[in-house]
Amino acid sequence: MAYGFEAKNDSGNVIINDTIENLHFLGKATRGSADSGHGTITGYGGSNSTLDGRVIHTYTVTSSGTPVAFIKPADYSRWHGIIKQSVSGTTWTFEVMISGTSTSNPPEVYCFVNADDVPTSSETHGMLVFKSDGTTKTFDSRRQPLAITGGANVVPPSDPTNSSGTPGTTSGHSWNYATNDHDFRSSSQYTAYTDSNINTSNTMFACPSMAQACYKRQMHGYKESCGFLGCCCQDHYSTAAWWVMYRSAFRLRSGYFDAGWTGYAGGYSFSSSYESGGWFGGGGGSYSSGTMPYTAKTINLQSNAYIIADSSRYD
Amino acid sequence: MSYGLSIFKTDGTLGFSTADVTWQTLAQFTVAANATVANTYSEAAGMTVIAQRQLVNVPPASQEDYIPNVVISNNSQTITVSPQSGLSSSQCIIHVLAQDA
Repeated sequence: MAYGFEAKNDSGNVIINDTIENLHFLGKATRGSADSGHGTITGYGGSNSTLDGRVIHTYTVTSSGTPVAFIKPADYSRWHGIIKQSVSGTTWTFEVMISGTSTSNPPEVYCFVNADDVPTSSETHGMLVFKSDGTTKTFDSRRQPLAITGGANVVPPSDPTNSSGTPGTTSGHSWNYATNDHDFRSSSQYTAYTDSNINTSNTMFACPSMAQACYKRQMHGYKESCGFLGCCCQDHYSTAAWWVMYRSAFRLRSGYFDAGWTGYAGGYSFSSSYESGGWFGGGGGSYSSGTMPYTAKTINLQSNAYIIADSSRYD
Repeated sequence: MSYGLSIFKTDGTLGFSTADVTWQTLAQFTVAANATVANTYSEAAGMTVIAQRQLVNVPPASQEDYIPNVVISNNSQTITVSPQSGLSSSQCIIHVLAQDA
C-alpha cells in the first residue's frame, strides 16, 4: 500500500488497517426491570403443563452510534437471546430473554460501537488509525478495541419442541377431553456448532434472536347423547388447545455454540358446547376460556451470524 | 506471537491482540422497512463475509415482522439486503463481518 497502516496476525491475516473500522468498547448497559414467568402453560394444570420458563431483563445504554450488544452469561447453562432492540433518540434499549424463571444471575450486556462513535478518550498516549479521508477513525487503542475471537452462521432446528413431530390437530376424542400429550419444552432441541474458542468463564457472544415460532396442539371432542331407541339425539362438541410462542435462543458450552429455542409465552384455551333438546328437552349451552393470540407458524428461520469475544478484557 | 500487535491496559493485562482476532467489522448500517439496499466494499474482495441481522423497534411477539434477506456476492464485495419473497420486511440493523482469507 502507498500509505496507511496494516497489522497482521501470525497467519498473515489483516486484523487492523485504514479501511475497515473496528468496534470499540462503549460500556456495559444498565440493567433495569425483569419480567419472569411461563414456567407452566397458563390456565392449564394437567399433564405436560411444564415449560422451560423465561426471564426478560431490560437494559439501556446511550450512544449516538448503533451499538452491537454482547451477552455475557452469569449462568452458562441457561439459554440467552436479545429479543428486542429499540432506540429512542440516543437511548438504546435491549430486552434479553433467558430460560428459566429465576431472576437471579442476570447476564451482563457489553456494548461496542465504531471508533468514531465512542466517547473521546482523555488519554494522551496510544495509537490511532484513520481512513484516507484523515478524519474517520478505524482504530483507537485508548478505547478498548473489540477483538472478535470466533464467529459463524448458525440456525436453530425447525422444531422447537422436545416431543418429536409437530403437534397437530386431532379429532375423535371424547367430549371435554383436555389432556395435553405434547412436551412443549425446548431443552433438547438445539443445533450444536463446534467453536474451540468458547469457554464458560468469560466468553460473551452477540447473536440476535431472529427466528420465531408458535406451536399449537388442538383436540376436538364429541359426544352424541340420545334418548330411548335413538330418539332425540344431542350433539356435544369440545375443543382444547395448548400453544407456546418461541424465540430462538443460544447457549455457550465449552467448545460449542448451541442454537436453540426458549418459550416466550404459553397458554391454553378450551370451549365446549351442547345442543338443546334430547329425550327430556333440556336446554343447550356453551362454555369457553382462554384465547390463542397468535397464529401457529414459524417465521425468520434463517441463518444468522454469531460472534464471540473475551469479556474479561473489557472489565 | 511471532509478529503482530498487542495492546495492554493500564493494569498490565492484555486488552487487544492481533493474535486471536478472527473477524473484523466491515460495515454496519440500518435498512429501512421494505427497502432494498446494495452496498459494495472493495476492501472485502476475496474475504470471507458474514452478516448479522437485528430487527429494530419490533415487539418480541409480533408475527408479521419479517427479517430481510442478505445476499453476499461479487467476490464478497457486495452486500444486498432485500425483503423475503412476497413479504414485507421490517427495519433492520445489518452488521457485516469480514475475515481475511
